[in-house]
Amino acid sequence: MEQNVRDEILAKLKAAPKAIVPTRPHLPPYKTLSMDREQLIAEFTARLAEEAVVVHRVKDLRAAQDKLSEVAVEEGLKKVMTSTDDVISQLDLPAWGKKNDIQVMTPHEFPDRFSYRDAVFDQAQAGITGADFAVAESATIGLIHNKDQARLISLAPILHIAIVPVDRIVPVYEKVMEKVFAKKGEYPSQFVFISGPSMTGDIQGVLFKGMHGPRKVIVILVG
Amino acid sequence: MEIKTEQFTELAKKELKNDRSRLFLKLIPPVMKGKREAGLASLPDAPAAMACGAAIRAEALSRLPELLQEFEKKATANGMKVVWTRDDKEANEFIKNLAKEKGIRYVTKGKSMVTEETALNELLEKNGIEVWETDLGEFIAQQLHLPPFHIVGPAINVPVEEVRDLFMRKIGLKDPTLDPVQLGYAARLFLRDKFHHVQMGITGVNMAVAETGTIINVENEGNIRFTKASPPVQVSVMSLEKVVATMEDALHMIRLVCRNCTGQRLSVYVSMDSRPKKKDEIDGPEELYIVIVDNGRSKIYQDVKARDALRCIRCGACLVACPVWRQIGGYAYGWAYSGPMGQVLNPMLLGLERTQELYRASTLCGACKSFCPVGIDHPSLFLYYRAKDVLGDPHFKSVDRPWIERQFFKMWSWAASTPWAWNMGVRMARPYINKDAKDGILSKAKGPFQGWFRSRDIPAMAGFTFHDRWKNQIKNKG
Repeated sequence: MEQNVRDEILAKLKAAPKAIVPTRPHLPPYKTLSMDREQLIAEFTARLAEEAVVVHRVKDLRAAQDKLSEVAVEEGLKKVMTSTDDVISQLDLPAWGKKNDIQVMTPHEFPDRFSYRDAVFDQAQAGITGADFAVAESATIGLIHNKDQARLISLAPILHIAIVPVDRIVPVYEKVMEKVFAKKGEYPSQFVFISGPSMTGDIQGVLFKGMHGPRKVIVILVG
Repeated sequence: MEIKTEQFTELAKKELKNDRSRLFLKLIPPVMKGKREAGLASLPDAPAAMACGAAIRAEALSRLPELLQEFEKKATANGMKVVWTRDDKEANEFIKNLAKEKGIRYVTKGKSMVTEETALNELLEKNGIEVWETDLGEFIAQQLHLPPFHIVGPAINVPVEEVRDLFMRKIGLKDPTLDPVQLGYAARLFLRDKFHHVQMGITGVNMAVAETGTIINVENEGNIRFTKASPPVQVSVMSLEKVVATMEDALHMIRLVCRNCTGQRLSVYVSMDSRPKKKDEIDGPEELYIVIVDNGRSKIYQDVKARDALRCIRCGACLVACPVWRQIGGYAYGWAYSGPMGQVLNPMLLGLERTQELYRASTLCGACKSFCPVGIDHPSLFLYYRAKDVLGDPHFKSVDRPWIERQFFKMWSWAASTPWAWNMGVRMARPYINKDAKDGILSKAKGPFQGWFRSRDIPAMAGFTFHDRWKNQIKNKG
């Protein structure tokens, strides 16, 4: 029955007359495409500020750890959930947590999705993730979701802290997609672009941050 | 959603007397227009980008069956389940049965225009499955049983006092407050609990990419991300025109939709699903269903001109551009889609006879067309629908015109193309027509023509026609 529906719809579409299609005009390149590394970093940082994202730039991962400690004190963090992606795993956050008296949770500690869900919704005061990409065009972070980058970490806690190595900043989205969708059959289950804190203007057009997702996003730029 | 497109005039009159709506319509559109302009200015060549948007959508439509098949093939190969449905009933039935089979008590929903069109919520609730709209504006509109006022801010006109009363009644708001931010946080807390325990989520689809078999959602609040990440079952409902050929095309369209909608370079979240979660992932859907809904679109597709309406990417720019929408807001259009977007879509989806006023309530000024990032020529479509309607087009259920009107225009057409008949007619009609003239102006008439004068005057007919005067001139000189 279902096959019939599919075939019936497709047959109708195929039988329709052909239309004339307008040609595509030439598009000039985005200005970020002609920027060098430092310019990209400056552009990315300036746009983040527009989105009300707090940015810190540190020179290496060690300094990132120290910055993270400072942020933890400022925000009063006692319990956080972190991903286990390739940036975060270099930071040795369990040791960092012990030193700073902060409980560091990762999704792997939970036996199933439901107990993990309880923790990320109700206990984590912040979600800490790396970033697979950063895009200067609009100050956007790109995350490939997989076993080391769970989806709710950058979404459910009220604070999202992203550690972004500067060499991951690219000028435009296309550069990201080339890599994310490079290999057929190995696409990530989900990929997400994040540009600032969750937001709405749905009550009388008054804009505010933190509608459903994080109210605050902090980016620590490394390098 | 109850379809009220036939009550356009009545609802428009009511809205014209609604001071709250009027105040908002004065304040909001200029702000949104300004944001849109600033957003477009961040593109290296905005007009070229819009022309490119039009070409991308037109190409996608011209290859629609091929792209849908490619999308289905890739999505299925990646483990998503693609379900085709002819109409609202089939789509709703499938989702209801799935929810029943999984023993679902409630679902969270991301804003989805196509499920407003199919009235999915009503069916689920009739079957004992609670539905929580989770976009803040949509949540308020759902609780108040209102249609969307604007596609992006569906309840943006609802007074804050009314939101306060609603939240005290329905979601246990304790401290009465008129601060929109505090009200927003109250909704956050309430819906957070829903996201936390939800077992099935329903979303719409902004774009489907044929090349990769990926669906894309664009949002600011995070409710769609929650709806896709938290529950083990995800259902994404997509009307069949949403597909584009390549990821590159999709990126271009995302740049356009965000700028034209809210003026943002990019919305806060853009999420792209290409498959259900892998075994070793802890969140995301174990089962991911894509429900493709036709609901009249393959029929629209048969008409090469009307097909352009299917280019629409629901950015809502045409609403704030429209001098009619800016007076009456979204309610009068009587269905899911309002403003010029609704005026081109609703008549095709519902039939010309149920939407008589929609394609006539236009000044044909073309503001919508000039704002449209996908090159839809709304005024030309309105004229096309009007012509179809009066000529009697069974394909789109036109009502035709009364016999007497058709005869009159047959006569008119003959007279206007037959000089001697025209000249004689003018001489005969002049005293009759000029009988009611005042100071050389005609502002009313009796009989079938009185409606024409409701908003117009015409100068009285001149005592001598141009031909008469020309002849006299020659005679006098000679």
